[in-house]
Amino acid sequence: MAIRVTGVSKRFGVVRAVDRLDLSVDRGCVMALLGPNGAGKTTAISMMLGLAPPDTGTVLLYEGSPVDAVRAGRVGAMLQDGAFVPGATVRDVVELARALYPRPLDTDRVLSVAGLTGLAGRRLDKLSGGEAQRARFAFALAGGPELLVLDEPSAAMDVAARQAFWTAVRSYAADGNTVLFSTHQLHEADEHADRIVVLAAGRVVADGTPAQVRVKAGVREGISLDQAFLALTDPSTPTGTEQ
Amino acid sequence: MRAYLRFELRRLVRDPRLLFFSVIGPVVTYVIFSGWSAGDRLEGLAAPVAVMIGLAGYGAVAGVLMVGSAVSQERASGWLHQLRVTPLPAREVVAVKAFLGSLTAIPPVIAVGAAAAVQHHIDLPYGRWAALVLLMWIGTVPFALLGLAIGYGLSPQIATSVTFLVFLTLSVLGGLLAPATYFPGWLRGLAHALPTYRYAELGWRSAAGQLPGGAELAVLGAWTAGFAVVAAWAYRRSTARR
Repeated sequence: MAIRVTGVSKRFGVVRAVDRLDLSVDRGCVMALLGPNGAGKTTAISMMLGLAPPDTGTVLLYEGSPVDAVRAGRVGAMLQDGAFVPGATVRDVVELARALYPRPLDTDRVLSVAGLTGLAGRRLDKLSGGEAQRARFAFALAGGPELLVLDEPSAAMDVAARQAFWTAVRSYAADGNTVLFSTHQLHEADEHADRIVVLAAGRVVADGTPAQVRVKAGVREGISLDQAFLALTDPSTPTGTEQ
Repeated sequence: MRAYLRFELRRLVRDPRLLFFSVIGPVVTYVIFSGWSAGDRLEGLAAPVAVMIGLAGYGAVAGVLMVGSAVSQERASGWLHQLRVTPLPAREVVAVKAFLGSLTAIPPVIAVGAAAAVQHHIDLPYGRWAALVLLMWIGTVPFALLGLAIGYGLSPQIATSVTFLVFLTLSVLGGLLAPATYFPGWLRGLAHALPTYRYAELGWRSAAGQLPGGAELAVLGAWTAGFAVVAAWAYRRSTARR
């Protein structure tokens, strides 16, 4: 098991960001974490990475604590707010990540997979939004982590970059690595995830393959996942609150 | 840790602002103003030597504080968060930052020293030059801690102005720009209590061929301990927030 979350809750003041969350992710799985703004995706990811301690419950990565897994170089992450510092080049950050992890990938491979081959010498503060996002992906990937966590990874990418990005993610998982990503883009979850977990108000409201999520929401096959998503996360419908 | 140090060194070298404030600024100031008091004796030295050390210290403190307080931007941008999800331990990030900050003390000491040697034909034995550079480097420890305290404690918008204010206050009142010898008595008393004055005193004494004295070690030690406590508190607070 790559990730095992048991009974995890986290509140910020009166807001219950994550509410008794249970979640297990198998090795080699590409899992999408889906949900509207404020559903608790980023908070859940922070706790899985050991950046924030849960108020209650436990998070295990590879049967140990998240901090230990991170320290052992088993985890690579692309955070939503993980901007780079000025003055460094794309190659600098890729080389830094490679030096920090025990089993790094080849530099040229990382650059080509992230679509940055021609930009290696470019300073990070001179990159466009989409390029910077690819550079952050390169940083997360360069160490060759067993678990790759991507918080809204493709938001600023154009269509071509996005396609290349998802191809890279799929092939990385095909090597036996685990990928967890969060997104608002339902079709991305639909096309690229083996499994979709829908969060609403800090709880899991649906969990399964894209087809199973449609069934759960009561929408027919062939109907876009958007309908299912709205049905599942609307607080006024009974399916939105699973007891 | 070596990889991170290398990464940060490359960034530092690419940042021209630092060079401007910490090297070009004090050198130009020295070239223009060191002639005015050339006949005096200050801090037990010929004035051109004493002013050289004051301005070298001014540049060194500027660089060290700038590097430390720049942590504020790295924190706000999320870069430090990003590093926390790599195997690099957080304490090594802090250690590299402090070490890197202290390194920026060396170029201004060498540059102002070179300017003084050319302009006033200052002729110190090699051993004293070496002691001077070494002590002016090691003596920046309290300022590296102060910079980190600002960097971890304050948001980027505030950190920049606070750094500038703290730097200006400490360097002017500490007699780095205008020698404290010219201060009225009460102001000189204040200067002697400041880390900047005592830091420069390490240099003044080594240029005169003396070992560091008890007074400056005591004052510098006290400020170092104080800044270390504040820096540690600011660091813990910044990591506990999220």
